[in-house]
Amino acid sequence: MRRIVYIAYATMLLCAILILMGCPKKTLEPVTPEVSKTPPPVQTEMPAEQPAMKMDMAGESQGAGASSGKPSMEKDRTAFENTDIYFEFDSFELTPEARKALANKATFLNSHPRIKTRIEGNCDERGTEEYNLALGERRAKAVQDYLVFLGISADRISTVSYGEERPVDPGHNETAWAKNRRAHFGILGE
Amino acid sequence: MRRIFAIISVIFPMFCLSLHAQQIHIDIEASGFQKFKVAMPTYAGPGDLAGSVWATCARDLQLSGIFDLISPQSYVNPGPIGEVQQGSLKDFSLIGSDYVITSTVSRQGTAGIFKVQMVEVSTGQLIESATYTSGEQTMYQAVHAFMDHILLNKFGLSPIFSSKIACIKKDKAAKQLHVMWFDGTGGNTIHGGGNLVLSPAWSPDGKKIAFVSYWKNNPDLYLLDLASNNVRQVSAQKGINTSPAFDASGARIGLTLSIDGSPKIYLMDQDGSGRIKLTTGWATDTSPSFSIDGKNMVFCSSRAGNPQIFIMDLATKNVRRLTYEGKYNSEPCFSPRGDLVAFSYRAKNDKFCIATIKPDGSNFRVLPGTGLGDESPSFSPDGRLLAFAGGDGNIYITDLPGTMTVPVTSGGGFSEPAWSPLMK
Repeated sequence: MRRIVYIAYATMLLCAILILMGCPKKTLEPVTPEVSKTPPPVQTEMPAEQPAMKMDMAGESQGAGASSGKPSMEKDRTAFENTDIYFEFDSFELTPEARKALANKATFLNSHPRIKTRIEGNCDERGTEEYNLALGERRAKAVQDYLVFLGISADRISTVSYGEERPVDPGHNETAWAKNRRAHFGILGE
Repeated sequence: MRRIFAIISVIFPMFCLSLHAQQIHIDIEASGFQKFKVAMPTYAGPGDLAGSVWATCARDLQLSGIFDLISPQSYVNPGPIGEVQQGSLKDFSLIGSDYVITSTVSRQGTAGIFKVQMVEVSTGQLIESATYTSGEQTMYQAVHAFMDHILLNKFGLSPIFSSKIACIKKDKAAKQLHVMWFDGTGGNTIHGGGNLVLSPAWSPDGKKIAFVSYWKNNPDLYLLDLASNNVRQVSAQKGINTSPAFDASGARIGLTLSIDGSPKIYLMDQDGSGRIKLTTGWATDTSPSFSIDGKNMVFCSSRAGNPQIFIMDLATKNVRRLTYEGKYNSEPCFSPRGDLVAFSYRAKNDKFCIATIKPDGSNFRVLPGTGLGDESPSFSPDGRLLAFAGGDGNIYITDLPGTMTVPVTSGGGFSEPAWSPLMK
């Protein structure tokens, strides 16, 4: 029992330090949806490529680029990438557990200010493809908004929705689904 | 894709006899409509070729939605029969056939010849006698020409065998665009659009397919021109660019964008210009589908707390809720006849089914389907049939009364069927 109290004190202290150290400029800004004024799409005729659709794939990387880190930060980095944020069915609300995990993510990002991250929003296989793409987007955005609220600069965080396309567990049961309703973090480079 | 068109050798229907049958009037909408029973003994000709043409024809008869094939096990003479003999008609009337179809299939060089007869059993009247020639490898084309001729000229129905289904096919770790005739024949996977392609949508003229691709690591919208295979980027805004649907004119594309935060439905020109926002609010709005008269759009929205189907009057932007049954209704598809909306409905046992509802919110109906979890309905160009993705990863065709559920693919890995308009 006493240990729990110590842990609670430690957590509170950590949070306090976080707020003091980590958010010199953007202290507890209200969560405002980001309105980006993107220029109208560039019309690109894709270069020809036999024998299929004429979209030139050469040189394009399909995955997020990885970068090498110092050995000392490997552990933190692995934890950052391997700890997913989980959601309830058809929900993009952050649970208390999710907020806790995101506080850790913020700590990591604050201590590695040059790292940029990409949040991938995912859904379980239930529900339909198109709605899940939208739901995955909202999950990624909810996570991004919370990190911004915790003081991380929005330009360090990008998002992508994979809908139900990237399950970690291929099973068809609640255990698998619970693992698949997640926001996953990728490190884009420093 | 070009290959599909190149392979189609010209089909020559040669009508050998002057046909005296008139068009048969059927009211397939009538609640008591009974399908016509057809007997089809094995075809005469080289076993491999005759067998495969028979199998295609048997499946296409079922897919027509108006014929039922009587099991060959009950035939007095199971064939092969090349031509119907008047004396043998009672053998077919005994087993309850309305029609009997016989054929002789032969080879001529690299071509295949499909000589087919259809006789009305009760009168002995020859209602079709024709010869169709096609490439030996593409004999399904000859069967399609026969079926279209029967549907159009004998029963006054749309020649739907001149229509295709675009869908998504799993190809190792990738998902690719796949285009086939609606009965599953002549399938062709179109590579080159990246490793993850989703949500195909046909232009109303059947010449283009809009699709979502992660080619640039984001779900962006592209447009494939089927004649040239050229792909053009339509929309690559930050966030999602998903669930495309052409508007009634074919000039503009509806899609979901999340540029303002929550996913909303927008309408834009094919080059991404002239963008307007159709839906507003905090909710998730996605999956637009437009009525053929250009007046309405159905879409899926979470504004009622969970995904439900809504209809928007495009002139006034007034929105009305259509579905109240269940807690998860999505992927609406407007019938080309404008009288029905099909969608994916999560039933009480948590399995998805295909359901339909009228645009005024009445007549909610659940189709029997596969029972394996059915999603992504898409109407045939005449609005009589629906294609959907079954839980086993195959594409199925069903009729609106739900009397048949026929797979047109095998092996799984297929999803998101989109039924084309009629191809000329």
